[in-house]
Amino acid sequence: MKLLTHNMLTSHVRGVRPGGGFPLRIQATEVKVNNVDFNQEFVARMIPKVEWGALLEAAESLGHLSDLPHQLPPEYENNEDFLRKVHHVLLEVEVMEGILKCPDSGREFPITKGIPNMLLSEEEET
Amino acid sequence: MEKEASQLEKDHVHRVYEKIAPHFRDARYKAWPKVQQFLSDQEPGSLIADIGCGNGKYLHINSQTYKLGCDYCFPLVESARNDGHEVMVCHSLYLPYRNECFDAVLSIAVIHHFSTKERRVRAIQEMARTLRVGGQMMIYVWAMEQKRRKFEKQDVFVPWNPSPPSWTLSNTCSRGIQKSINQKDKRLAMDQHSTKLAGTSKARSSSFVGEKETTHNLFEKSLRWSLFSRSLDSVLDLSNQWHQRELNTFSNCNIQLDELNTGKLFEQIRQGGFMKHISNLSLRCRQNFEDNASEVAVEPGSPMIFHPVPFKSCYSELGQDTKQPPMSPAIIYDCSRVCLPDLLSHQKDVKQQLKIDYHSKQSAFRKLQNRSRTDSSLQDTDNDCSMATRNKQPQRSPNGACLRYYHVFKEGELVELIEHHVPELHVIHSYFDHANWCVIAEKIHVWKI
Repeated sequence: MKLLTHNMLTSHVRGVRPGGGFPLRIQATEVKVNNVDFNQEFVARMIPKVEWGALLEAAESLGHLSDLPHQLPPEYENNEDFLRKVHHVLLEVEVMEGILKCPDSGREFPITKGIPNMLLSEEEET
Repeated sequence: MEKEASQLEKDHVHRVYEKIAPHFRDARYKAWPKVQQFLSDQEPGSLIADIGCGNGKYLHINSQTYKLGCDYCFPLVESARNDGHEVMVCHSLYLPYRNECFDAVLSIAVIHHFSTKERRVRAIQEMARTLRVGGQMMIYVWAMEQKRRKFEKQDVFVPWNPSPPSWTLSNTCSRGIQKSINQKDKRLAMDQHSTKLAGTSKARSSSFVGEKETTHNLFEKSLRWSLFSRSLDSVLDLSNQWHQRELNTFSNCNIQLDELNTGKLFEQIRQGGFMKHISNLSLRCRQNFEDNASEVAVEPGSPMIFHPVPFKSCYSELGQDTKQPPMSPAIIYDCSRVCLPDLLSHQKDVKQQLKIDYHSKQSAFRKLQNRSRTDSSLQDTDNDCSMATRNKQPQRSPNGACLRYYHVFKEGELVELIEHHVPELHVIHSYFDHANWCVIAEKIHVWKI
């Protein structure tokens, strides 16, 4: 599970407050770092779609925050240095084994072989 | 109703896909070109969700976009993962995505597996929730109206045969077969096929390899059937009396029944108020390729569907070739033991409705009974028909095929579903493609007053 994926994920357990299921806290037991080709335009276009705070939080929990700024720099589209750092965090860091924890309910969703299991039990379905 | 619908889907969609997942690599499961086009048309930097991605056959398209696949089936998701895709396991009625995060959403051959209209609507609503305003969704569902085959009902069980005797080469020569079938001389097509089959090393059934199989034998060993089920939205009730008569037909036909304890079975069912889906099975006879003979449905990218052999044409063949062993007549096959959702409230109304159906089916079976008695001893083929088992296994049809539930869509049905029940989606384009009804819809603002 890449962090770009993680940024889209939310807990959807019954009873969770609207928005309360995001972002899921990552407890990783195995993290992999890959080399992914850098595509500047792709990363620049992806940034507005991402919840920036959640991305920082996730990166930090995996020890890959490096020196990503808390605020988006102005005109980041042309800031290759910045974009490369974002690229690394979004696409090159992968959680292979671990747990995603709902911040509201504490419910844990396992990640196995890089695949999050987001299935709910019948009781949890809304 | 919810529980029953969910259980039906568990038995006849999820469990089946788990079993057949390893075979999804077959060439018959190809990506539709128009779907590929839809993906290619998305802007660079788009976030795209493939809901019900299966083994991820669309996830590699357009590397300028980021695609997330999800599916209920673990083995399929693992397969997609092994290809390097970002995927997860979830249920499409409960998507683990935040609101409006995707630029585009795909739903290819998914929502026809939902067993009630309400669930189909919910599936579309849930996908619409994750789509941003201005984003587009593409939905493909199986059509009831197809060019070369006809579903008689909208809710059907379709067998998926892991080693279809005649179709072991479907992944290599199905296109050839298709063309041949469209021609008048279908017998020639079958002969060609059988020649290929005999000579190939790809044949999975060992009984075919090296044997001089005639077309006749091939089809004798495989079954063709069309399976019906009543919609879970309508009502179905089968009186115990009818069950007993069906059972009698069974035993008259001298068909071997697996795990048979039918008296007890039906009693339990009757007491439990469960409904049964009954389907007609008929052995595929030697092909009589007159106009009224049913077609063998072969289409790349879709599972096998079989037509019921018109009894008349079937029997016309029975006496003709005395060298061949006689055919078994049609067999009743119990598809599932599912409590239909609105059983309790509508039981009375249904009995009246059922009487009509009962008679038409009964007369058909009478013909079979009469015919079977005049034949010489019936032969159990290698592929014995088996009564649906009472356990929770996916119902096995003969040849070990699994039965998948489909609600096939009528023309306009998908559009109507969206227009009447999903106000946040606006249908841009709807069309027919390769036996599917297709819709492209855009997410719009819904102003609530």
